[in-house]
Amino acid sequence: MGGNIPLGFTDTPLGSSREAADPKWVQWLLISIALTFLGLFLILPLVTVFVQAFEKGIAVYLEAITNPEALSAIKLTILVAMIAVPLNALFGIMAAWAITKFQFKGKNLLITLIDLPFAVSPVIAGLIFVLLFGSQGLFGKWLFANDIKIIFAVPGIVLATIFVTLPFIARELIPLMQAQGTSEEEASITLGAGGWKTFWYVTLPNIKWALLYGMILCNARAIGEFGAVSVVSGHIRGLTNTMPLHIEILYGEYQFAAAFAVASLMSLMAIFTLIIKSILEWHGKRQMSIENH
Amino acid sequence: MSIVINSVSKAFGTFQALEDINLEINTGELVALLGPSGSGKTSLLRIIAGLESADQGSIFFDSENITGITAKERKVGFVFQHYALFRHMTVFDNIAYGLKVRPRKVRPGKKDIQNKVHELLELVKLKDLSNRYPAQLSGGQRQRVALARALAVEPKVLLLDEPFGALDAKVRKELRRWLRRLHDEFQISSIFVTHDQEEALDVADKIVVMNQGKIEQIGTPEEVYENPQTPFVYDFLGSVNLFKGRLNNGKLTQGNVNLEIPDWAGSDNMEAVGYARPHDISICRESAGEGTVPAIISHIHLVGPIVQIELVRKGTNEYLEAEIPKEKYRKLGLNVGEEVFIKPKQLKIFTPEDFII
Amino acid sequence: MRSISNKQHENERIQVMGLRKSKKTGFKKYSILPGFGLTMGYTMLYLSILVLLPLSMIIFYSSQMSWPEFWDTVLDPRVVASYKLSFGASLAAGVINMVFGVLLAWVLVRYSFPGKKIIDGLVDLPFALPTAVAGIALTTVYAPNGWVGSLLGFKVVFTPIGVVIALTFIGLPFVVRMVQPVLQSLEKEVEEASASLGASRFQTFRRIIFPEVLPAALAGFTLAFARSLGEYGSVVFISGNMPLKTEITPLLIMTKLEQYDYAGATAIAAVMLVTSFMLLFIINFIQWWTNRKFISH
Repeated sequence: MGGNIPLGFTDTPLGSSREAADPKWVQWLLISIALTFLGLFLILPLVTVFVQAFEKGIAVYLEAITNPEALSAIKLTILVAMIAVPLNALFGIMAAWAITKFQFKGKNLLITLIDLPFAVSPVIAGLIFVLLFGSQGLFGKWLFANDIKIIFAVPGIVLATIFVTLPFIARELIPLMQAQGTSEEEASITLGAGGWKTFWYVTLPNIKWALLYGMILCNARAIGEFGAVSVVSGHIRGLTNTMPLHIEILYGEYQFAAAFAVASLMSLMAIFTLIIKSILEWHGKRQMSIENH
Repeated sequence: MSIVINSVSKAFGTFQALEDINLEINTGELVALLGPSGSGKTSLLRIIAGLESADQGSIFFDSENITGITAKERKVGFVFQHYALFRHMTVFDNIAYGLKVRPRKVRPGKKDIQNKVHELLELVKLKDLSNRYPAQLSGGQRQRVALARALAVEPKVLLLDEPFGALDAKVRKELRRWLRRLHDEFQISSIFVTHDQEEALDVADKIVVMNQGKIEQIGTPEEVYENPQTPFVYDFLGSVNLFKGRLNNGKLTQGNVNLEIPDWAGSDNMEAVGYARPHDISICRESAGEGTVPAIISHIHLVGPIVQIELVRKGTNEYLEAEIPKEKYRKLGLNVGEEVFIKPKQLKIFTPEDFII
Repeated sequence: MRSISNKQHENERIQVMGLRKSKKTGFKKYSILPGFGLTMGYTMLYLSILVLLPLSMIIFYSSQMSWPEFWDTVLDPRVVASYKLSFGASLAAGVINMVFGVLLAWVLVRYSFPGKKIIDGLVDLPFALPTAVAGIALTTVYAPNGWVGSLLGFKVVFTPIGVVIALTFIGLPFVVRMVQPVLQSLEKEVEEASASLGASRFQTFRRIIFPEVLPAALAGFTLAFARSLGEYGSVVFISGNMPLKTEITPLLIMTKLEQYDYAGATAIAAVMLVTSFMLLFIINFIQWWTNRKFISH
């Protein structure tokens, strides 16, 4: 890549050039088509959630999100995310350190392995844990004998969620740390810092935005995961229902306003995620541009 | 084709890139637009190419006003600073592009395109590389592909933006000689932008020195080098020694130094700066009274037939630079730390008005 | 330049030292940085327990079936109908997303209009919004009495079109996010060069911009397609899940599981996994193929 990348100041002004610009009417036509498409597929569904949620009034809305079943679903969802996200963050950092700071054979295979859960249908993600820990599964008899419940219980939900969200943080960190190289860490070691201090003072500040970014994405998926959790949860109300499963049940019982009320909470979380994501992207870009200057 | 640029101005937001530019380029001339970064030289080139539109003024090719005509129809060859090669096309396809996109009526046949491209590949000495992609070429080779691509459409005007800027010194020198020959062979009008005065002096028929959106001077390399009309041109085209003082009755006075300036015999007590190139400075062992300037030799560069001597002027501690032939240097037997007397053989005087831009 | 030559030096040094050290550390080259054993060990352990062991269950259980049994399950007419629907709908959604994704990326990179930043951020909504929420929202909008459904002259919900709509939603960000950086890195000069050589705006798009964008668009398409094949949450609400008509393959796995037909579920899952891995391979191939030509070393 290197060699002919223009560095520094050229007196060619950026921006408006006569030949790279399209006529105004073409611009507006294309913008209109693009926005119509987005409107039909993204914006209308999002607006619908809130309209439907408040269709039967604020009282129904509040009841729907504060009844014991809804609250227990919210609590379980938060609990699952609070276990899955930190574990995957730790894994992401460990894996990225091993992959980007050392040269070893089979590195590409390892990266592919980390990406694997993205290629697996969520339903299959649930299925494999049923095959492992379900009553007819590999460890089923042993678990039953020792009275340990994993499938149709919280541990199963956590395991399936971890599987589905496993690559998110690692795949944010690996390309970034690869680009940053190892020279800063090596400098730190030669200056007498140990491995832990080097990570804490040199590596972590360099990757903090990407780490947060990955955690935000991981969290959004962990909260919203439906297929995998649906397989392993058993849909036991008040016990193993996460928010998406709770929505499904309400919707199936034609309690549309209540279903959309819970859905509106999740939509707010999604919007919140997008906002934080934009902020983190901005920080990340700024950090990169500072480093480049 | 001759090019006439008629009071062209261009602003980018609040930044005035070009201010009332007037310039005439004759058929077959090779012209250098020379200036520092931000002087507007690239903007002017892009306006000539039609890649940028002028806010004011007009441009004529021969006697035809082409101000409102798009780049697509201007039929100029443009070579971009970083070449802008199409990276998904081979060298062959890059060069053939301009012919392939012609409207069906005037598009040459497949065979003709092939012949034309091979002819150009021969010319730029890249015959063996026609199936390579740009990423697989060296900087100099890319530059030559960019040139061949621009020449394929047989332009009447060839415009080059810092054509050698991204190349290393040796390739640069080779390519600019080659460009000169190419230009002579094709008999087209060429304009190239550069910030390298040596490059401009070496290749161009005519140099247009630009600064802060304005033209400082237009002339042959000899004219602009030997007879700069503004302090900026003097400074930009080579090393220079400054002699500040007051001008009175044809004498530039500073302290007890009085330098004779016969051209300014009628001057009356005004501030002035005398400019002298290093090779216009002579060195002698003996003082010749007020007409010479005492200085201490601080450094001597001995490489090559010309000896470069750095001096520090006595009294003012100003830095001076002189260039003398090696024989003269041997005859004088100069050493670092010695006191000598220097005399500018030729002084170009600029008064405060010249500095107001 | 300095950093490049440093790196070369470093590599040489590592190679020299690596030769000496290779007996001790095996497959890893020498480095002064600590923590390889810990991080590598942890990574392998985590992956083994959470990914490799569970996934190997598919192979383990499939291999316990006899071939006829396996084929009967995965070639059952109802299952084959689900392959057709999943494949067809994913393909259709992928194509829709490819066309509109390139258009969206183009509009977001090249033009300016009010609210552009918000629109740009909103493109990622399908990544952030739980699929179940998307499912019920799309069903409501496209139902016969919904905002859009009531305007259409044909039925969407509980038909394959509904499945396509849900999968379009799910795959929307992929093409946009793959194409955007490519358009951003496309030098303005390249388009100017094309224009100064006499090409019209359309010729420039067709011959210069489109070939640059195509590999990214194809990669985005494949990612969206792979995601769509396995998608469950957003589809089950809008599809109606009618056997032979609107059942997607992941739903069949779910159905088999609910009937405690673990073997059947596993067999179908095995077919899906093989398909997904082939797609993964295709994505890698597209990326390798584009890098080979354009990127110099």
